[in-house]
This record gives sequence, structure tokens and C-alpha cells, in this order.
Amino acid sequence: MAPLALLKDTRDLPLSGSTQDSSLRGEVPAATATRANGAGGSVLSVDRVRLGYWGNRGFHLAVEEATFDVKARERLIVIGQSGSGKSTLLKAVAGFIAPTDGAITVAGRTSLAPGPDRAVVFQEFDQLFPWRSVLENVAYPLRVNGWRRREGAARAREYLELTGLSHAADRYPHELSGGMKQRVAIARALALEPVILLMDEPFGSLDAITRARLQRELNAILERTQTTLFFVTHSIDEALILGERVVVLHGSPSTVREIVDVEDVGPPDSPGYAEMRIRLRELLAIEGEDDGDA
Amino acid sequence: MATPSAAVPARPRGALLRWGRLPTWFRYLVLLAALIGIWQAYKSISGVDDLLFSSPRDVADAFWTGWREGTLARTTWTTLKILAVGIGIGALVALTLVAFAALSQIGEDLLRMLVAIFNPLPGVAVLPLALLWFGLNTNALLFVIANAAAWPIAINLSTGFKTVNPTIVAVGRNIGLSSRRLITDVLAPAALPYAITGLKTAWAFGWRTIIAAELIFGVAGADGGLGTYINNAKLFLMIPQVFAGLVTIAILGMAFEVLFGVLERRTIVRWGMKTST
Repeated sequence: MAPLALLKDTRDLPLSGSTQDSSLRGEVPAATATRANGAGGSVLSVDRVRLGYWGNRGFHLAVEEATFDVKARERLIVIGQSGSGKSTLLKAVAGFIAPTDGAITVAGRTSLAPGPDRAVVFQEFDQLFPWRSVLENVAYPLRVNGWRRREGAARAREYLELTGLSHAADRYPHELSGGMKQRVAIARALALEPVILLMDEPFGSLDAITRARLQRELNAILERTQTTLFFVTHSIDEALILGERVVVLHGSPSTVREIVDVEDVGPPDSPGYAEMRIRLRELLAIEGEDDGDA
Repeated sequence: MATPSAAVPARPRGALLRWGRLPTWFRYLVLLAALIGIWQAYKSISGVDDLLFSSPRDVADAFWTGWREGTLARTTWTTLKILAVGIGIGALVALTLVAFAALSQIGEDLLRMLVAIFNPLPGVAVLPLALLWFGLNTNALLFVIANAAAWPIAINLSTGFKTVNPTIVAVGRNIGLSSRRLITDVLAPAALPYAITGLKTAWAFGWRTIIAAELIFGVAGADGGLGTYINNAKLFLMIPQVFAGLVTIAILGMAFEVLFGVLERRTIVRWGMKTST
């Protein structure tokens, strides 16, 4: 895992620039994963889970069977082509849909309703409350979960600083760019100190440059917060940049084809990275020219 | 370093005096003055009978006297009170129907059917029935207003709730909101643009309906509203008062437009949920 400096606001900096922002060395909230389970224990376990949902044409089976687990402080990526049921899997972990079969266990509890211990960052830009300012978008969920107004606001400011958005605290979501909106959503999710952070292609709607920047920023932020991550994507590069282990979903309805350790693949220009990239392409059964997908 | 003058094109000659560059309030003021001028000119030149057409001066006199002595103020207050209560009742009926529609398919079908039947019906059309049922009193008016207001509110609220972005509802559940708070803190503000549209339409329908109903009503006495005021003034051939009543209606109509505009700018326009007009 390449240690990348946290870029607070990179809009005026060259892409390769890595400035350690002094304001962030201070009291950034410490690791919370320990709260979930003993160190090294599994925070999320997906055990022989079968998943589907009711659509217009009756019941649609999305995941045939999936088994894997996520350890505390680990970054797990679920990768699959469109239609592989990876988003359905995330929705099931979040508690929006119940598995048809098998069990999903989070921090020792099964059959969970949606809750802030599994905060979600969605792909859509309109996941923020338009009638609340940026600060309020982060602070309001804290109040819902028992924080007092003043403490909630202070904590929200901390996390906005962590995501480099302090300057935009009083703006409304419609005044932000897509990248900034996603950073607010990340701040909102992290402020809840989830047992596991769920991300459903959060950078999928961004342009390539912003996406690369946010991937780097997320890496640095997670380095700090040590949050356990469950990240869904169809991009091999994203998986290699952010992930420690990659669950490859294949087929439709899908099964887990392989779980690949990618922690030591090295930076994107290394031979190990290129090798792993080819391997994942083969596992995903992507054919044709490799034109890059990050 | 670039000089600023190089980037900014030279202002065209005479542009300072262009109509479009003047402040909005000033443009409307000039137009209004011109209209009143034409009105006065027509009155002076044509020599039209005072019993048919009043001069702006006489109307201004009647307007001023009416407000100072309280006759216009009282009647306006009566009308607005009935209107507010009527729209309130209509909104309650609408809310009940929308809640029922949100909970069940049969409720939704019922709402759709009722709206299809009653929404195209002009509000005053039910007045004869209302008079039959409630008698010649305020209750009949309330019924007519409530009927005129309920349907636009119901159709808009229902559309508003149905079109709430599912992602934001998912976020609401994800951060741990109870069902009650999901309704008050997420669904309600998300449907606000539609709620405001519904209320605006209800106000416009109700306003036209109550004036028309009062004109038909024609009841005299202390309880009469603006429509009654106009009708009475006509009966006693006080033509400037007829005009003064109309001017009051127009001014109130504009005032409410402004009020809704302010409400929208402070909420849904500020939040980017509606583009400013």
C-alpha cells in the first residue's frame, strides 16, 4: 500500500504533488475499528448468501452464492461486471434487502435493519439533503444518533476538515461540484464512525481526474481513521489502488470466483501491479483490448 | 499582466438609457403611471357617464376612504378569514387522502379518481348545492373553498411524495431515522416544492372562487366580504367603490404572489430544488 499524503484541497496543486497538510496532523479522530470486534477478528461475515430482488419481471436472482469475510481495519473490494450483483450485495450488507438464504453477520449480529454502524456512500451525487448546508448534512445524522447539537457540529467540522471541505461548510449541496458532493457524503459516513464503511461505486460518476484524486484522498483518510472498508466497483484499477483483498464476482447470477490478495502489488507503474491487473482481467473474463478502466 | 480594459468590451453608446437596464421596480412604476394616465385621458376626453366609468381620481378617493373608514378593511378581512379557514380544511382533507394513498393501492386509486372528477370542476359550480345543504351562511362558503383547494393540494402532494429521490430515502434509513422522522425530516422537505405549488394553486382557485361566490351570494350586513362589497356598491350605484373593490382584489392578488415568491426564495430556490424565475 503506497503511503500517500493527505491532500486537503488539491484543486490548485499538480496531480503528483503530495503536500502534507499541517492542519491534519492534529486531532483527527482515531481508529474506531477496535470498537467493533477484537483486533484481527472479522467484522463482517457473509456466509453462503443467496440474494435476489423483485423486479418488473418477477424475482431476479442476483447472487447465487457468496461467502467471504472482512477483518477489522481491512479494506475489502468487491469487483464484478455490471449485472454481477455487487451492488445488491452491498445493499444486503447495509440492511436494505434480506438474503434469500445464508447469513450476513456484522459485529456479531445478523439480520440487521439499516443503521449507521454500516454507513453507506452511494454513487449518486444527490445523496445529500439539498435543504441542509454541507455542515448540517454531516452534523444532522450525528444528532439523530444522540449527539448534542454543539458536539455534533464540532465533530462535523473535524470530518469536513479531514475531507478538505472546511471552506464549503456553509454552502448548500447544489452549489458544489460532483467531487465535492461525494467528499461531503464520505465525511458524513465517516463522522458516524461506522463499524464498517460501505461504498457503492462512490466515484463512478466522476471524471477521470477527479476520480483519481478522490481515490488518493480516500486512501490517505482511511490510513488515518483505520476504518474497515467494504467497497464495490467495476474498476480493476480502483480495486488495486484502494484494496487489500479483492472479491471477484463472476457470472449472472454470480458466485465468488476468487478472493485475491492485492495488498502488496505496488504502485501502478510496478510490474507486480501490471501482473495483477492482467490476472483480475482474466478472472473477470474481460475480453478485447485493455484500454484502461480507472 | 493583462489590463482589465482589454477584456471588457466598450459599452455601446446610449446604453445607459436603455429600458432593460433600468431597475425593475422603476420600469413597472413607469408603466403603471402610463396606464393610469391613459385611463384618466379616456375619462376626460370621451366624457363617459360617471355611472358607467369612474376616473382614477374618484377611485383613489373611494379606495382611500374605504380603507380609512374601515369598510374595505373589514370586508377584506372577512374574505381572507373565510379563505384561510376554507383552504385549511381543504388541506386537511388533502393530507388525509394523500396519507391514505401512500399507505394502500386502493387509497391511491381513490385519490386519482376523486381528483379526476373534482379537479376540473370550477369551484363555484358546487355553490347551489352548498347553499341547499348549509343555507345562506359562511359554512356554504367554507365548503366551496375547501372543495376548490383540496384537489390541487392533494394532486401536488401526492406527486411530490411519489417523486422523492429514492437515494435520499435510503440515506435517511441508513443514518438510523425512525419512520416518523423519515416522514418529517426527509419526505416532507423533499416534497416541499410540490407542496408550495399545490398551495399556490389552492390559493389562486380559492381566491377566485370566494369572490365569485360572494358576488352570487349578495348577502348584505356586517358579515359580507369583498365580493359582497362590490355587489352592494353596484346596487347603490357607487361606481368608484366598485372600482376600489376591484383594485383591492388586484393588490391582494399581487401581494400574495410576492409572499409566495419570498417563501420560495428562502426555501426551495435557496436549496436548488427550484430554479429562480
